[in-house]
Amino acid sequence: MMDNQTATLSSVEILIDAVRHGSQVALKRLYEIESRRLYGIALRIVRRPEVAAEVLQETFVQIWQNAAAFSNERGAGTAWLTGIVRFRALDAVRKAGREIPSDDPTLGDEAVEPDVIDKIGASAEADALRRCLKLLEREQQLCIILAFVEGLSHSEVAAQIKAPLGSVKSWIRRGLLSLRRCLEQ
Amino acid sequence: MIPDNSEELRVRAGEYVLGVLDAHETNEVAAALAINSELRRAVAFWEEQLHPLSNLAASAEPPPGTWQAIEVRIRANAAKPVAHSFWTNLALWRWSTAGFAAVAAALALWIAVTSVPGPSLVAILHPPQQDQASWIATGGRSGLVLRAVTTATPPRDRAFELWAIAPGATQPRSLGVISPNGELKLSRLPPDLRDGATLAISIEPIGGSPTQLPSGPVVYVGSVKAV
Repeated sequence: MMDNQTATLSSVEILIDAVRHGSQVALKRLYEIESRRLYGIALRIVRRPEVAAEVLQETFVQIWQNAAAFSNERGAGTAWLTGIVRFRALDAVRKAGREIPSDDPTLGDEAVEPDVIDKIGASAEADALRRCLKLLEREQQLCIILAFVEGLSHSEVAAQIKAPLGSVKSWIRRGLLSLRRCLEQ
Repeated sequence: MIPDNSEELRVRAGEYVLGVLDAHETNEVAAALAINSELRRAVAFWEEQLHPLSNLAASAEPPPGTWQAIEVRIRANAAKPVAHSFWTNLALWRWSTAGFAAVAAALALWIAVTSVPGPSLVAILHPPQQDQASWIATGGRSGLVLRAVTTATPPRDRAFELWAIAPGATQPRSLGVISPNGELKLSRLPPDLRDGATLAISIEPIGGSPTQLPSGPVVYVGSVKAV
């Protein structure tokens, strides 16, 4: 009974609901549970710790203000939080620009590894996504993963993998089409 | 342009969630989210489905003091209760920031305490993804008045048209073309306009959209709030 209650209290959706009703304690708990994950996502996109910290601050201020919108949307809480931090990080990159060192070892190599898809977790959603990603052509797979994880635009993906912009656009387009068909099955 | 074709629309939503679109295309999708429920569903689909990819970014410890900075920003945002009801519209959650919410709350309060007889509905319209309050709409028994609060002029040979989306509605309805002096008055309050509705302004040919729907980009949006 006690364990059950503890599990319920720490669930992200319950915390977001409490934040919606104005609980700063719940927001702090949410920060304790989620800040490392969200900061990692932001850092991978914006690359500079001081910018990522600012993005994380904006993210939690936005969660505080907009928790009510979450209840309307009724998605998974963690996906909602990821959506906010990625959106804020992409916005920061568009405003301030970003230097992409071409010899950065954290770039490219990891996403190109054949087994990178095996690292996306063990949940039911991850299983479905992994199964569907594996059906894509290698270029489509690579472009979609690079875009999502590094937050690269069409032209940045093209520069990164040294492929023509038109090809990258078409790989992502066709990749998304196939991915959706597979995921909706 | 947001594609009409449902397959293309979902691809565009996927590109938006991936973040591959340029600034112009991104703003176009963000603006259309306010009035296009199919697009909203498509964006939610991709956010859910692609979410596991975020596990590829390694977690990291945020710099010390980050939580304290968040606390300060939240306390400074005294407008929370009003801002809260302003932003319950699910399409708009991404666009609000502390600054805009505070301005919006102050304006709503100002309108509520100074106008006699007071309006019963207020909306503050701003460019998608920007904080700048650009238009104020007030509605009540005497109808609806929309006024520009900053200099807002449509491109040459174009006009601004005002649209209302009732809460839960999927299609916007035209409330008319805004006159070149930046004002629109309606003597009766349209039924679509109630608490939780959305107002949007698009760029259209002189005389208004040739179709029943916005044909140009949506350049301002705002939530309607009962006061």
